[in-house]
Amino acid sequence: MTLIERSPEGAVAIGPIDKLLNLARKHSLWYLLFGTACCAIELMQTGGPRADADRFGMMFRSSPRQADVLILAGTITYKMASRIRLLYEQMAEPRYVIAMGSCACTGGLFQKSYAVVNGGDLFLPVDVYIPGCPPRPEALLEGLLVVQQKVAAEPWLKKIQGKVPAKPDPALPREC
Amino acid sequence: MFVFSGAANRALRKGKAVEIDLLTIFTFFLVSGAALWVFLLFGRFLRPKNPTPIKQTTYECGEKPFGPAWFNFNNRFYIIALVFVVLDVEAVLTVPAVVVFRKLVAIGRGGLAFLEIVAFLLVFFGVLVYVWRRGDLNWVRSLEPPTCAPFDAGTKEEKP
Amino acid sequence: MEASEIKKRLEELLSSELVWKIGEKQTGDGWVEIPLEKWTEACRLARDDEKLLFEFLRALSGVDRPGENNIELVAHLFSYRHRHAVVLKTKVSRENPVAASVCSVWPAAEWYEREIFDLLGVNFREHPDLRRILLPEDWPGHPLRKDYQQPASYRGIPTSRPAPEGSAS
Repeated sequence: MTLIERSPEGAVAIGPIDKLLNLARKHSLWYLLFGTACCAIELMQTGGPRADADRFGMMFRSSPRQADVLILAGTITYKMASRIRLLYEQMAEPRYVIAMGSCACTGGLFQKSYAVVNGGDLFLPVDVYIPGCPPRPEALLEGLLVVQQKVAAEPWLKKIQGKVPAKPDPALPREC
Repeated sequence: MFVFSGAANRALRKGKAVEIDLLTIFTFFLVSGAALWVFLLFGRFLRPKNPTPIKQTTYECGEKPFGPAWFNFNNRFYIIALVFVVLDVEAVLTVPAVVVFRKLVAIGRGGLAFLEIVAFLLVFFGVLVYVWRRGDLNWVRSLEPPTCAPFDAGTKEEKP
Repeated sequence: MEASEIKKRLEELLSSELVWKIGEKQTGDGWVEIPLEKWTEACRLARDDEKLLFEFLRALSGVDRPGENNIELVAHLFSYRHRHAVVLKTKVSRENPVAASVCSVWPAAEWYEREIFDLLGVNFREHPDLRRILLPEDWPGHPLRKDYQQPASYRGIPTSRPAPEGSAS
């Protein structure tokens, strides 16, 4: 019996084992303890008691090996972009990227600056964009719930059997 | 096995001294070890495996790693480890003393048992006082330079 | 001390033959221009002299003046003990932008001079650690120069983002 799961891209049909595995995965999304600027403060507050991310099973991990989600919280400079790319490469699959705040989405306030990258999606494959300056903790939680919907709709068994290969976006630099 | 441990529990609740079934402990360890392996086995079949050279580089907060990972430890930690071992032995040996001295307490010589334990603790208190007075509990033992033989700069030679 | 007195004192200390420019505004500190070859010496005298005692370097910045073909270094100084402030300026040529470092006078100048090197391209002699501070080490060019062009991409990352459809830009 196939079940229909809603994903941000539309309705997707997946099997019951997939549903169970995705249920386990989506309620344990660990995010990398990473932030560059003011959005990182809001990220910290999202992990705090009021807008508790831990009730969804999300905890911060310091090491990219143990993290599922990379939240780009804050302005990204060119100097930092190389390090973020290396952190993303060091994360184990399955991994997701959230661009939090206007600086990570498009460069934001500092778009005209010579030192600022105009958005995280110029060097990383971003899954969810959260606008705001900074987005409220509730908005970040909403973004994380969208990632949960994406996770719930993934054909996981096919992925680990290699039948759905992960295609890296050719527009993104392999290393920077 | 569970029937045995049930009997042991009932005996304990009645206040009798009882030997826990060794089989119970052995089974406990077996089950926990097996559970660990079962979870790891699930993971091995349910996770993707895509090693790439970049992914396997050493994690250094995003920086490209350089240099060896071994470095010199501060030798103050040696003193800390020594003091810890001594006082840890004291703590570990004090706890079962209660069980060992039960027999003394049962025959009414509880005061003697108490004095023995206090004497034991006093020895280690002496250790603590020695270490404390010597300054080994401070991170920086002393700010004065160590005393040593006076430096002889030699006689100044007259310029020709 | 008033700005004119500070200027007179500096003239006494360095030498009285040099031409000094001073401008006084109604607000702000007066500025004194110092010839480039006496830059470190003047800064050290400003810090050490009894009447001046400028022990605090508030800021050290640079201005690119392609019209006059020079880059100006501007040092804002303040004295806590005498409660006066002054601005020392010096001009570095744009073709060969080399100046002496004042890190030996005020250690705080280290990062200021790194910033001026990064954004304007002025080399500082005897600087302990002269390298870029904001931009990556292999960035081409110096952004705050008036003739700077932003490169199209850096290590594969495009430096501009196309404007969204329907927006005026």
